[in-house]
Amino acid sequence: MNESLEDFTLGKRIQPKGIIQKIGLIGCGMVGQEITIAISTSGLDVIFLDTDSDRIKEIIDQISVQLDEVIKHWGLTTSEKRAILSRIKGTIDYEDLADCDVVIESISSRKRGTSIEIRKEIFRKVEQVVRHDAIISSNITTLMISDLASVLKHPDRAIGIHFILPVQKANVVEVVRGISSSEYAYNQAIKFAGMIDKKVIHLNESPGNIVTRMLVTTINEACELLMEGVASVKDIDFAMKESFSNLYGPFEMADRIGLDKVLKYMDNLYMEFGDKKYKPAPIIKRLVRANYLGKITGKGFYNYQSGKAVDQTVTLSMIKK
Amino acid sequence: MKIIVLNCGSSSIKYQLFEMPAKEVLAKGLVDKIGLKGASIKHKRNDGKELILEGEIIDHQAGIEHLLAILISEKYGSIKSLEEIEAVGHRVVHAGEKFSSSVLITDEVIYALEECIELAPLHNPPNLKGIYAMKDLLPSVIQIGVFDTAFHQTMPPKSFLYGIPYALYEKYKIRRYGFHGTSHKYVSQRACDILGLDITKQKIITCHLGNGASMAAILDGKSLDTSMGMTPTEGLIMGTRCGDLDVGALLYIADKEETSIPFTNTLINKFSGMIGISGVSSDMRDIEAAAAEGNERAKISLEMYQYRVKKYIGAYAAAMGGVDLIIFTGGIGENDTATRTKSLEGLEFLGVEIDVKKSLKSRGKEDVISLPKSKVTVIVVPTDEELMIASDTYTIHEHILEETGY
Repeated sequence: MNESLEDFTLGKRIQPKGIIQKIGLIGCGMVGQEITIAISTSGLDVIFLDTDSDRIKEIIDQISVQLDEVIKHWGLTTSEKRAILSRIKGTIDYEDLADCDVVIESISSRKRGTSIEIRKEIFRKVEQVVRHDAIISSNITTLMISDLASVLKHPDRAIGIHFILPVQKANVVEVVRGISSSEYAYNQAIKFAGMIDKKVIHLNESPGNIVTRMLVTTINEACELLMEGVASVKDIDFAMKESFSNLYGPFEMADRIGLDKVLKYMDNLYMEFGDKKYKPAPIIKRLVRANYLGKITGKGFYNYQSGKAVDQTVTLSMIKK
Repeated sequence: MKIIVLNCGSSSIKYQLFEMPAKEVLAKGLVDKIGLKGASIKHKRNDGKELILEGEIIDHQAGIEHLLAILISEKYGSIKSLEEIEAVGHRVVHAGEKFSSSVLITDEVIYALEECIELAPLHNPPNLKGIYAMKDLLPSVIQIGVFDTAFHQTMPPKSFLYGIPYALYEKYKIRRYGFHGTSHKYVSQRACDILGLDITKQKIITCHLGNGASMAAILDGKSLDTSMGMTPTEGLIMGTRCGDLDVGALLYIADKEETSIPFTNTLINKFSGMIGISGVSSDMRDIEAAAAEGNERAKISLEMYQYRVKKYIGAYAAAMGGVDLIIFTGGIGENDTATRTKSLEGLEFLGVEIDVKKSLKSRGKEDVISLPKSKVTVIVVPTDEELMIASDTYTIHEHILEETGY
């Protein structure tokens, strides 16, 4: 075949740049996997980068299990699952991200202490391989996109896209403009959000954005209520769910996110704003030290059996002791 | 005169170039994977010459630009210049209550269709993209909208309203709209042409049985009732859609299985119907093969499918006070001879007498399958929605020419 599409045009206009088809993801932990599924379900290709090939195989298996859960609840057909998996690839090599249109850093923020240097290094490495029109993003919550952008040769291509958990259920993302984010990067982020069927919350950068800042103060206040012996974990969650038709109560939410992460968010916000409303409640620190991290370790504010909360770990009597 | 017919989907465009009124297809093709990597155009001219192109097609407008350029190209084209194109006919899925026939697309019409996006969020936006693109690329060419819902707009309130608070109809226009209108209209007109009947004096039941399926009661040439509702989920049992279902049962399922609204939507539209019951496939051929090997659920699913069609024939005959003509169309209606024949079994009391041998043999062609003595004529008419769109476009174009005195 000698002919190409370019041979058949009316010469009416130049095709604009900015088609989005392939997304790169750095780090594919629990959150990264949810993001991967959301993107791939929308028909886009995803390539995720993680530490080694065994881990990549493990991630693919975990994604497959999560999709099976969706099938069990009638949300997906098996052929759709095959199609979704066919769009997901894993790699350990940055070079494989070269043809990505959007690259999102989403490394786990579990470890205590700041991860900013690691994330900056990722931004540097990504910029070395991607095309000049690719945008580089981060799923950051309490860190600042401008900080990460500062290491780029073209900081205008950096933009924050914060996914709200659970990614499949929350139909919004926070799109965060940094100081030097270009209009192009911003528009690409908006377009990308639309393609994965998420509504956009527009905001200027500020640690914790909207959702995390509101959430951690709620969790802290819930801990206060608990420690004052006002009500139990279950009752506080029950009150918040039933009163405002929330999917999750504050403790359930904390367990889902991971108490270590919640603690880190609080540390970062406390450091940034210095306001004691962000200072982590002692009970959270206590639970984290005991490795009660939430759903991921099977124990947090609740005990979990096969992913379902069975009873509360922190009881009033335990606090009063 | 040359007419282009466009059917724009979310990431594809089906197109045909017609010579009218000769009803001749000069070329047709498919633009696929628009906005995605690996986009392509497959073009075929009526002399068999083919062209397949692959590359980047960023949006519908770019796709239409390419297909127009192919149509005027020396090697693969069918026309010398774009000036030869006199009208464009667009398939538009949902026109709500706004239009009851095909119309000339003006700015007011575009505005009205934009207002209908909520009713067909998956289909109307790409249909509109095709309209915007043509307006931009061929600004002086007449554009006509042909709507899937238009033919059923003649339904009276007693058939289109649901038994829910009337306020919901007033607020959100919750009602039966029906679909496949272009097909129901085409086959009913075509059948009357073939049989030499006056459509305005007939009681017709049309059965469009494809992967999606609907039936219509057409009294004196006008749609009186149809089986699909506000969405295409209602009515007949389909490949993967449940058809009629007790909404109370659905609420119970959603509660028991803790399914969200999107998941419940998938349940009734993708997991249900023939695939859900048989567990075999959504394709009738696979289900029939399984049934022949003794698969009980496959057998039951086929019986249910046929029973539902028969039930609607009975209901529509009652609604019209009898039936003169039953028409089958769509992939299953045209080719699945067993399903078609069994759906008509036991209807002698209505005056339906089938030439069983003929019905079991005749595939994919215009053919009468009832006995000559049958009071009710049963006929198979392969559907041709593109031709119907081209015909409507031609008629409106001629009408405009007359009015403006060209």
